[in-house]
Amino acid sequence: MSQDASYIGKRVQRVDASVKVTGSAVYGVDVELPGMLYGAALRSPYAHASIIAIDTSAAIQSTGVRAVVTGKDFPCLFGDMVRDQPFLAIDRVRFVGDPVAAVAAETEAEALEALEKIRVQYEELPAVFDPREAMAEGAPLIHPDFETYLRTIPASMVPGTNICVTRKFSLGNVEQGFAEADEIFEDTFSAQALSHATMEPHAAVAQYTPLDGRYTVWSASDRPQRLHKELADALGLAHTQIRFIVPYVGGSFGGKNTLRAEAIAVALARFTHGRPVKVVFSREESITATQTRLAAHMKLTTGVKKDGLFTARRAEIVWDNGAYISNAPGVANRGVLTILGPYRIPNLDLVSRLVYTNNETTGSYRGFGTTQVTWACEGQMDIIAAKLGIDPLTIRLKNAYVEGDAYINGQIMRDVRVKETIEKAGAEIGLGTGGPGPSPTRRRGKGIATMLKSTATPTDSFCLVKVDVDGGVTVYSSSSEIGAGEKTIMAQIAADAVGVPLAAVSVPNPDTAITPYDHGVSSSRTTFHMGNCIQQAGRDVRGRLIQFAAGILKTDPARLRISAGNIIEAGTGPRMTLKELLAKKFNGKSGAVFGEGHFTPAGKPVLEAREGLKGISSIFWMFATHAAEVEVDTETGVVKVLKVAAAHDIGRAINPTGCEQQIEGSVVLGVSNTLFEEFKKERGRILNDGFSDYKLATMEDLPKIVSILVEADPDKEALAVAKGIGEPAAAATAPAIANAIYNAVGIRIKDLPITPDKVLAALKRQALDK
Amino acid sequence: MKVSIDIHVNGERYQKEVEAQTTLLEFLRGTLHLTGTKEGCGLGDCGTCIVLLDGKPVNSCLVLAADAGGRKVTTIEGLAVDGKLHPVQQSFIDNSAFQCGFCTPAMILSAKALLDKRPEPTEQEIKQALGGVLCRCGSHQKILAAVQAAGKGEK
Repeated sequence: MSQDASYIGKRVQRVDASVKVTGSAVYGVDVELPGMLYGAALRSPYAHASIIAIDTSAAIQSTGVRAVVTGKDFPCLFGDMVRDQPFLAIDRVRFVGDPVAAVAAETEAEALEALEKIRVQYEELPAVFDPREAMAEGAPLIHPDFETYLRTIPASMVPGTNICVTRKFSLGNVEQGFAEADEIFEDTFSAQALSHATMEPHAAVAQYTPLDGRYTVWSASDRPQRLHKELADALGLAHTQIRFIVPYVGGSFGGKNTLRAEAIAVALARFTHGRPVKVVFSREESITATQTRLAAHMKLTTGVKKDGLFTARRAEIVWDNGAYISNAPGVANRGVLTILGPYRIPNLDLVSRLVYTNNETTGSYRGFGTTQVTWACEGQMDIIAAKLGIDPLTIRLKNAYVEGDAYINGQIMRDVRVKETIEKAGAEIGLGTGGPGPSPTRRRGKGIATMLKSTATPTDSFCLVKVDVDGGVTVYSSSSEIGAGEKTIMAQIAADAVGVPLAAVSVPNPDTAITPYDHGVSSSRTTFHMGNCIQQAGRDVRGRLIQFAAGILKTDPARLRISAGNIIEAGTGPRMTLKELLAKKFNGKSGAVFGEGHFTPAGKPVLEAREGLKGISSIFWMFATHAAEVEVDTETGVVKVLKVAAAHDIGRAINPTGCEQQIEGSVVLGVSNTLFEEFKKERGRILNDGFSDYKLATMEDLPKIVSILVEADPDKEALAVAKGIGEPAAAATAPAIANAIYNAVGIRIKDLPITPDKVLAALKRQALDK
Repeated sequence: MKVSIDIHVNGERYQKEVEAQTTLLEFLRGTLHLTGTKEGCGLGDCGTCIVLLDGKPVNSCLVLAADAGGRKVTTIEGLAVDGKLHPVQQSFIDNSAFQCGFCTPAMILSAKALLDKRPEPTEQEIKQALGGVLCRCGSHQKILAAVQAAGKGEK
């Protein structure tokens, strides 16, 4: 069967363009329903306290109030990995912002007014905010009942501490590796917690129908099917008693994949006699009471030979889990298992400890652990290069993985083009060239950093592709459009698989009552997994259509194909349009033809690994290199990023423009994370809880960004070699900037963010040392 | 306390009673159901609620609806005329200058206000004019290109 590639690989216009430039796209915050009430939560002012009593009597009497709910009224726990989190605090609060009670009222103002009338009596408990202190014996225990929680992952508390997940990994013999080394480097790096700061705050509407005990939740989430399951499990409901309807998502970046506004809305809706309840978080709540990136403290000990080849690495990471477990265990594991970077290191000893603290819950953040570990790995790489007198490009090329190398679990890696990314990014920025800067106090420098990332494997995607009587194609997929161009990719693939014009394809938003299971828009997996799934379903339905056509045209189906909505016979040319075929098939009435798709990489030979370690194999490996040019003002300490060259081993770009959007977006995020963002805290309270003092990069901070797409052999089928692009671009920018700063002024900042005061302090130390 | 307002939004006249403290943002979204205008913070820090008030961009969360009485408000819904997109909207499409789309209405309106005043702005002028709208997807480079292209093509 000849394969049509009219759209795959092309810069097609996004299919969500017109709704987004006209303001007609409906987001989570825009959902309105008849009879809708407004909900709001009262939050803990303490980082750690026992709840002695809650008096809601005055709130219930307040104008417009229809329900007041506390944890005692709705004593359920949720959590995809460890079920440790109450919808509303039951007898204890564990971070400043923990929801304690909630109100549903006719208006938002009335709900907020009633919250002020709730009286809570707390007894403050000792709190702990630094995971390095929380992991010590004798620290205040945040979850003394941990062992009673249900869990779906191997997690167990180290007795007497708050260490909830420990992961150790060894390869070869590290002591022997160190013995063989000419030099041993020991460095400690830290990466800070960050707000996802999606422009759309967290929002949800929940409706409970008392007659049949069903919940419908409108939730702008990146993984509706898994939230669906998480909620069903938490409430002890059947799968069919829950439905998640997904509007457009105003950004996620890993921050909209757990029950946040949903939890408050669901708890309230149980008590509003069928009326839907809408909960929209304030910006303050989105920053302080959802989830953040995991802060990480990373100690790296690395042995190298004089020629720059690695002999061994020991890495110890302490991660801040925060108050409750979201998906931080996954982040911690992925992080520690990639702290070797895309390099051959024969001997490894890796230890990761995830620790409860009284901070905001943490979890996935674009990059899923790679943003933290790449910061450490690539910072130390340049320290090593400088000491050995090897240039940053050469030392990376020397150690980089090549095609057919084994990952640490023995998986043989295919489609490895990391060296090309290093060479191309380095060449584009002109590493090792350029002047010292426009003036003695404005110094310029260039730096490079590279990374690798796996994708969660194996994971499932299901979909349906429908062809209507007029030849219109609808894709039923649970992959949310979070802004990354998911709908466009899905439409391109469906159009080519069925053989219709792109304009004939529509991709509605997910609805878990209609769209089949998908693991979620996460782990840079959607293009590959859902893409292959849709291709399968599209070809399935095309096969059926060709069978019908062969019957009507009285010809061999093998002679037929569908292209641009026409049935074409080999040697003859177009015989009829798809529309004519379907009119005949349905006798001039209406009907629909369906194709099914189910894709999982499970069982693929490429995942083979050493005994017991297949779980960390990846169906594809992502590699990326960023090279940055910066200007450091030595009088103010201000760093300006002038240019970033970002080379990505993308395998095959299904939509090159979409890839550029992901890369450019990640670079801006990277600049922002590296130079501006951090929480200012006082006894666990985040003081900078708005955009006036939690600064994000703006248009005025934009560097020139050059995206370089490194692709596979063009003869290979696109969806066999396509990799993800959403996350890898987020990891390499920060260390590339730090390395460029070192190149410019000779200072090394190891703890993020790189603020002007740290730069000035380092310059001062440097001057004193001279 | 309720106050009466008489206001033009996207060329239509509305006479409504609103609470005195109602913001223009609340009025547009809550009373007129024009949800293309977004609320990202409610404090004037993020710019996603920008609308044009007599042609000038304002954070609608910082303006009282009552104070907009007698004036002309343009929201994103009012930009396309007779089904034809405004050149800035078209340029945002042509240059793929959006991702999640949440800040897009504010970016487009800010760009329109700039181009109405300065048909061929410099890169720095564009960056300054749009610097008040936050975009976490990081679409800035493509937005910059879209505004530059719209400036050249429009006049």
